Amino acid sequence: MILGYVSCLPETKLMAKFVEELKNERLMGTRCRKCGAKYLPPRAHCKCGSADVEWFEASRQGKILTYTSVGFPPQSMSKHKSYIVAIAELQDGSKLLAQLTGVSLKMLRVGMPVQVVSRPVSTDKIVYELKPMDVMEI
Amino acid sequence: MTEKVGIVGIGHAKFGKRTDVTLRELAHEAVTPALVDAEINVKDIDASVIGVTSEEFAAQVSPAILVHDYVGIGNKPVFRVEAACATGSAAVRAGWSLVKSGLADVVLVVGVETMTHLGTPEATEVIARAGDTRWEYPFGATFPSYYALMAIAHMHKYGTTREQLSMVSVKNHMYGAMNPYAHIQKTITLEETMKSAMICHPLNLYDCCLISDGAAAVILASEEKAKRFSDTPVWLVGLGAASDTMMISERENLTELKATKTAAERAYRMAGITSSDVDVAVVHDCFTIAEIMAYEDLGFCKKGEGGKFIEEKQSYIGGKTPINVDGGLKSKGHPLGATGVSMTVEITKQLRDEAGKRQVKGAEIGLSHNVGEAGQYCFVHVYSR
Repeated sequence: MILGYVSCLPETKLMAKFVEELKNERLMGTRCRKCGAKYLPPRAHCKCGSADVEWFEASRQGKILTYTSVGFPPQSMSKHKSYIVAIAELQDGSKLLAQLTGVSLKMLRVGMPVQVVSRPVSTDKIVYELKPMDVMEI
Repeated sequence: MTEKVGIVGIGHAKFGKRTDVTLRELAHEAVTPALVDAEINVKDIDASVIGVTSEEFAAQVSPAILVHDYVGIGNKPVFRVEAACATGSAAVRAGWSLVKSGLADVVLVVGVETMTHLGTPEATEVIARAGDTRWEYPFGATFPSYYALMAIAHMHKYGTTREQLSMVSVKNHMYGAMNPYAHIQKTITLEETMKSAMICHPLNLYDCCLISDGAAAVILASEEKAKRFSDTPVWLVGLGAASDTMMISERENLTELKATKTAAERAYRMAGITSSDVDVAVVHDCFTIAEIMAYEDLGFCKKGEGGKFIEEKQSYIGGKTPINVDGGLKSKGHPLGATGVSMTVEITKQLRDEAGKRQVKGAEIGLSHNVGEAGQYCFVHVYSR
């Protein structure tokens, strides 16, 4: 399975592992064994130059930092009429750009609590999405 | 080795929907007036640097030699420079380096792009793939959306308003209407801009720059040659450049472009000036929020006061720092590779007192600010008479 509503890159070992875990609702990042830097989304190499990285499970709860509604999608997304794209800051401090569903643009606010969920979008594609936290879960 | 690098010739093609010409013909339209302006022959050029951003827009792999050969420079050195929407300023920087190092005495820098032959969804697609193709593009992120994310963050933190965004557009269209090379030479009202179609909330149609075809050219020369060719050389006295993270989500602060702040500090230091010494500037207004952030990040006003700066008309002629009085990317157009070179053309005109109705009287120090992608690249140049 490939990550994204659209994709133009090959599946790699790193992505295969990330997607496999995503199917089980686990959001995985990588951590450098040398300098301790944490990456979500994951990287095969640390920015310090080290290739000695290990997986860790990232938090799936966070809050909205900013958002937009894309009214004019690019050609590859033309079957999507309009959609919300947001950046969330997760509880462990990592940040993620993703589409946000389950809330109207009108109701959306900076700081709104959200969770990361995974969703297959076709037989060969999967995405992570941001969704507002249920009131019970806050 | 030369002490200084001067601008001795400038040329500008008409920006717009230019399906009447090919890429090389469009480049030629800018190069010819630059040679006439410098009063030199094409044979006096030692090397060329060609700025073209996208091979998909050019419909030509490796387009630099296509331009170089067509304008008749012959078997001199040529290479292409690319830094997304800041390609033109990167090309000027590379040209400056060739002259400063002594590798060449006279360098032709050309920026050119043909974009309008693709429809808007296709062009949006090509540009979207300048974003992170693994982690952001696959989620439907586009360039308007990256700047919209910054706009919401800026509005939330500083109370910047939708009206203030539109005011930038009104100003740039007002000046663009006086620029014969601009893509759209038409004034607009605040009401029209406020009512235009939403592209990426909160950015509407009039917050977004144009997809254009265009070309611009400058001729750079060593101090000795510059003084020989020109009575009024303009000197490139400060060059600052910086970069930032590929993923927008990795940015520490979404209300600023860190690369702009760093590039500006470097350019000011090299030129030995501060932001208050700048008499006229062109900044990267790919979206209105980008111009508001540029006011702040270049130091023309305090952080968070960019909205107030345009509201008080401080970026109009007669204000504190006149900005984008050539119409900016908003009204002049944004043919990616041409934009940065066009900025150098405009500042040179201003410092030579040749900008006509748009002239900032007595301008002695100018600045150009060119951003690639959503702040991944930034180039700031400082110019003096």
